[in-house]
Amino acid sequence: MKRFILPFLLLAPIAIWAQETINRAVPPPPGPAKIIEIGKTEKFTLNNGLEVIVVRNTKLPRISVSLTVNRDPILEGNKAGLTSMAGQLLRSGTTTMDKASLDDAIDFLGGNIYASATSIGGASLSSNFKKLFAIIADIVFHPSFSNTQLEKIKKQELSGLAQSKDDPNSIAGNVVSKLLYGANHPYGEIETDSTVKNVSVEDIKTYFSTYWKPNISYLVFVGDITKEEAKELAEKYFGKWQRADVPKPQYPVPSNPAKPIIAIVDRPVSVQSVINFVQTENLKPGEPDVIPVRVMNDILGGGSSSRLFMNLREKHGFTYGAYSAVNPDKLIGSFNAEASVRNEKTDSAIGEFLKEFALIRTTPVSETEVSLAKNTLSGAFARSLENPATVANFALNEAIYHLPADYYQNYLKNIAAVNAGTVMEMAQKYIQPQHMYTVIVGNAKQIVNGLDKYGTVQYYDVEGNAIAAPVIKQIDASITGKSVIEKAAAAMGEAALTNIKDLEISGTAGAMGQTLQFDQKYLLPDYFEQTLSIQGMLLQKQLTKEGTYSVTAQGQEQPLKDDDKEELSESAAMLPEAFYLSKNGYSFTVKDVEPVDGNDAYAVEIKSPRGRVFTNYYDVKTGLKVKSVVEKDAGPAGKLEVQTYYQDYKSYNGLMVPMKTIVDQGKLKIELDVKDVKTNQGLKPTDFK
Amino acid sequence: MKKMFFVVVALCLLSQHLQAQTRKIEFDEYKLPNGLTVILHRDKTAPVVAIGVLYHVGSKNELPGRTGFAHFFEHLMFEGSDNIKRGEFMKYVSNAGGTNNANTTQDRTYYYEVLPANQLQLGLWLESERMMHSKIEQVGVNTQREVVKEEKRTRIDNQPYGSIIGEIFKRAFKVHPYKYQPIGSMDDLNAAKLDEFIQFYKTFYVPNNAVLSIAGDIDIPETKKLINDYFGPIPKGTLPIPRPNVTEPPLGGEVRDVVEDNIQLPAVIEAYRAPKQGTKEYYAFNVLSTILSGGNSAQLNKILVDQKQLAVATGAFNYALEDASLFIIYSIANAGIKPTILENNMDSIVNAMKSGLVSEHEFQKVKNQINTQFVTRNATMQGIAESLANYQVYFGDADLINTEIKKLDEVTREDVLAVAQKYLVKNNRVILYYVPKGTKSQYIKK
Repeated sequence: MKRFILPFLLLAPIAIWAQETINRAVPPPPGPAKIIEIGKTEKFTLNNGLEVIVVRNTKLPRISVSLTVNRDPILEGNKAGLTSMAGQLLRSGTTTMDKASLDDAIDFLGGNIYASATSIGGASLSSNFKKLFAIIADIVFHPSFSNTQLEKIKKQELSGLAQSKDDPNSIAGNVVSKLLYGANHPYGEIETDSTVKNVSVEDIKTYFSTYWKPNISYLVFVGDITKEEAKELAEKYFGKWQRADVPKPQYPVPSNPAKPIIAIVDRPVSVQSVINFVQTENLKPGEPDVIPVRVMNDILGGGSSSRLFMNLREKHGFTYGAYSAVNPDKLIGSFNAEASVRNEKTDSAIGEFLKEFALIRTTPVSETEVSLAKNTLSGAFARSLENPATVANFALNEAIYHLPADYYQNYLKNIAAVNAGTVMEMAQKYIQPQHMYTVIVGNAKQIVNGLDKYGTVQYYDVEGNAIAAPVIKQIDASITGKSVIEKAAAAMGEAALTNIKDLEISGTAGAMGQTLQFDQKYLLPDYFEQTLSIQGMLLQKQLTKEGTYSVTAQGQEQPLKDDDKEELSESAAMLPEAFYLSKNGYSFTVKDVEPVDGNDAYAVEIKSPRGRVFTNYYDVKTGLKVKSVVEKDAGPAGKLEVQTYYQDYKSYNGLMVPMKTIVDQGKLKIELDVKDVKTNQGLKPTDFK
Repeated sequence: MKKMFFVVVALCLLSQHLQAQTRKIEFDEYKLPNGLTVILHRDKTAPVVAIGVLYHVGSKNELPGRTGFAHFFEHLMFEGSDNIKRGEFMKYVSNAGGTNNANTTQDRTYYYEVLPANQLQLGLWLESERMMHSKIEQVGVNTQREVVKEEKRTRIDNQPYGSIIGEIFKRAFKVHPYKYQPIGSMDDLNAAKLDEFIQFYKTFYVPNNAVLSIAGDIDIPETKKLINDYFGPIPKGTLPIPRPNVTEPPLGGEVRDVVEDNIQLPAVIEAYRAPKQGTKEYYAFNVLSTILSGGNSAQLNKILVDQKQLAVATGAFNYALEDASLFIIYSIANAGIKPTILENNMDSIVNAMKSGLVSEHEFQKVKNQINTQFVTRNATMQGIAESLANYQVYFGDADLINTEIKKLDEVTREDVLAVAQKYLVKNNRVILYYVPKGTKSQYIKK
C-alpha cells in the first residue's frame, strides 16, 4: 500500500495547480445540451400506391433499401411455419438464376440481400446500387420457388423445432402465446412438425400473390441517394406492380384472466424454473401512454439497474437476471416479466415479483430513479440517431402506425415530461397482477407446494393445452424398499438362476448416427466380460473374474477405484437385484411413486456397502426394473445425471432380459438394441480373458 | 449468356472502382509531455462523442503463472478511483445517457464511452481518473474474481464450441504467450497477491503506454485544452514495459486431437500458422479468407452447406495478432455427417486454393467485397475511435484507416496462390475434432 501512495505525494503540487481549471473531486457538469436534430426524410407515392421514403445521408458512399409489406397478421392454421419459411424460399433463386448464381451475382456487387415473409432489402456501395436494386426486383417478381429448395429449408426448420422441444424457454414461449391469445389468433399459433410438413410450394406462391401488393407496401432508401434517383429506380422496377385489395382479417380481442392463474408446465428434468408473468395490454404504438410506460418499465425491470434485477439478482441471488417489458402492438400489446430461478426459490421469487409489482403501483418512485430512467432513455434515443437507418425507421413507423408527423421530434420532450406521478399512474393502468398468467416451466413436484396462494394452479402440456394435474401418489405403508427389490428379483427370474450357468447377450448401440457393437458374457459365479467395438475394432472392454477387475479403453488399462470395482461386481451379476439381496450391506428406501413411460413405478434409493447411492425404478404392476438414475462426476462440468431406461423385456429360460436399453446423459443418448440372447452355451472360465 | 453478363459487370466495376472514393477520415494526432498519444476526429453529423483509451497491454504481456491478469484488469478498472466510489463508474455513464464497455485481446486492452456530445468532459474525467489513480483494493479484487469466473462459465465453459479458440491456441503455440487465452487461469488469479495487481497497474496503465482516441461532435481546440487539464497531470510511467521477445519454432508436424464438448453436432477446425498482421502476406491471407468465406457464394459455404449439405455452418478467418497469426477454417457437421468426411471435403477446398489461380471473376468478386467492407466500416464514432487507436498502436500509423485499402488492392492472384502453397500445408497446422461428450473414443485414430 505504501508504495502506491508515493507517486501521489509527488503529484500533489501539479494537482493543486490543475485545480485552477478543473476539480477532480466532482464529476464535471454537462455542457449546454446540443440540439438533437432528426435527419430529413422525403416521401412520395407511386401511382400503384407504393409509398417511397428517402433518407439522404452522404457520409458514406453506400445505399441501403428495404421493401416492407405492411399486411395484417394472418392465421396459418395447419400450415403454421409457412411465413417463417417463405422469405428464405423467396431468396433462394429466380427464374433465370439458381441459388448459386444469385449468391454469386450479389457477392460480386460487394452487396447483400435478405428476405422475409414481409420484407426484402439489401445494401451496397452507391456505385453498384442500381444493379443490386435490379436483382432485388428480379427476386420479387420472378422467384423460382423451387421445390428442392423448399425441402432443404423444411429440413432446417424441423431440426430447429427438434432442438426447441427440449428448451424450457421455447416451451414457455409456446404456452404464453397460447394462453394469452388462444389458438385462433395469429399470435397464438404454434409451429409443429406436422404443420411445417404441410407447407407446399403452392402455399407459398399463393401467400406472395395474395399479400405482396404495392398499395400496402413501403420502399425505403437510406444513404447516398437523391430523391430523384430513388424515384427513377422505384418507377422503373416497381412502377408496373399491380395494386389489388388485400384481405384484412378481424380477430377477436383476447381477454386477460378474471383472476390470477398459475400455469405450470411440468418438466421433471428442470433444475431451474422459467417464470413468466404475462398479460395482454390495450396499447398501440404511438399512443400517448407509450413513452411514460417505457419510463415506468425502465424503473421496474428494463435493465440491470432496475428494481427487479436489483432485488432478485443483486439482493437475493435467485437468478442471473430478472427483467420486464411492455410491448405496444397494433393488434394487441403485452406485458411480460421474467426470470429463471433455481427450483427451491420458485415460490420466493414469485413473491418478490409480486411485491415489486405492488410497490410500483402504490408508492411513488424516487426522483433519482425517474431521472436515471429518463436519462437512460433519452441518451439511447440520441445515440440511435448516429445510424441514418434510425431516421428511416421513424418515417416508416409514422406511416405504418399513423403517428403524428412530429412524434419523434417531440420524443425527448415527452420523456422529459414524465414524473413520479405519471409513473405510478402507468403502473396502475398497465400492471395488473390480479389479471395475469404466471407461466412456470419447471419441476412441478419440487416447486408446486405453496403456489396456490398466488392464484389458481392449472397444468398445461408443452403446447399450451390444459391437462389434469399430475397425481401425487401415496405409497402403501406395507411397501418397503426391500419388498420392492424382492418382488423385482422374483419378477425378473431369480428362480431361473438355478437353471442358468452362462448367458451371452449381443446387439448394437447407436449414438449420434454411429452404430457400435456390444457383447456381454456371464458365467456363474462371477465371470463377466463386456466389449464395445466399432467395425470390428475394439473400443472398450470390461472384465471381472475371480475377484479381479479390469477396464481397458482403446487398449489402455484404466485405473480403478474401489467404488468402480464395487460397481463392476454389480454389473457382473446376471440379476443385480438378487445380488443386492444376497450381499450384506445394501440398504433400500422407497422414495416415491412416479410414472416411467406412462406406468407408475416405485423409486427405490439403493445405498451400497461402500456408500454409493443410486435410484432404481420398478414397475408397480409387473415389478420389473424400468429405469435407473445415477449421478456421475463429469469433471469441470460438474455432476452429470445418467438416466437409463429398460424396455421390452423378454424371457429366456425364465430370465427376463430388456431388449432395449436407453442411456440418456442429457446431451448424449445411446440406444442399445439386443439382437441375440443365448443361455447355457457351455462358456468356460478360459473364455474370459 | 451468363458469362457475358459477368464480363460486362466486371468491366463496369473496374472502371467504377477507381472512382469510388472513400470518405477520408481527418484527424489530429499529438503527444502530451507525459507520453500519452492523443488522436482527435471531428464529425458533427450526430450529437455524439466516443472516447476511447487503448492500453498497449494484453495477455501476451503477462508473467508466467499469472495468466488472465490483463483481462482481469479490464474488470478491476470499473471498480472506481480516488474520486469515483465503488460501483459508481457505470452509473455516471448511464445517468448521462451514455453507454460504455471494454475488451481485452492478446495484444491490447480498450475502454470506451459513447456519450451525448455535451458530456465530453465527463468521459475525460472518467478515463483520466482510471489512468491516474484507479482503486486497486482487496475487496474489488475479490468481487471481480467471482465475476470473471462467472464470465468464463457463461462464455467459454457453458457455451457450445466456446472453448475452440483456447484449445487451438494452446496447441498451435509452444513457446509464445499466445498459447494462453486472455481469460487466463482461475488458479493464477486466485494465487495473485494484491501487490502484484498494483505492480501491473504501475507498469502498464501509464500514459506512455496508452492512446486516447476521441471521435464525434467536438470542438478541437476546446477538447485539446480539456485533455491537457485532465490527462496532463498524470505522471509518466517509470518502469520498463515488458514485451515478449521470443521466437516460436516451426510447428514441426501436424498436431491432431479430439475434444469433447456439450454439443450435438461435431465440428472440424483446421488452424494454420500464418504471418503476423501488417505484413504483405497478411494482406494476401485476408483476400484468401474472403475467397473461402466472404458471403453466400464463397467456396466453403457454396460447396459444404449448399451443394453437398455436409455442414450447417462453415467459415474461414485470419486470427491476426501483433506477433503471429492463425488462419482458421472451421465447419460444423450436418446431422449424421462424420468429421472425417467433413475434413476431407475441407481439405479438397484448401487444395484447390493451392493448385492454381482463382478465376478472374472470383478474384474480382472478392476485391469488390473487400472494397465495400473497407468503405462502409467507419459508420460509427466508436468504431472510428477504436480503429484509429488500433492502427496507431500496432503500426504507428493511424492514417492506415484511410490507406490500408491500397495494401489489399495490391494483392494479386499470384500472391494468394503463393501464401496458400507456403502456409496451408499439413505440417503447419493444428486440426481438432469437436465431438459430443462421451463419443471421443470413436474418433481417436490409431
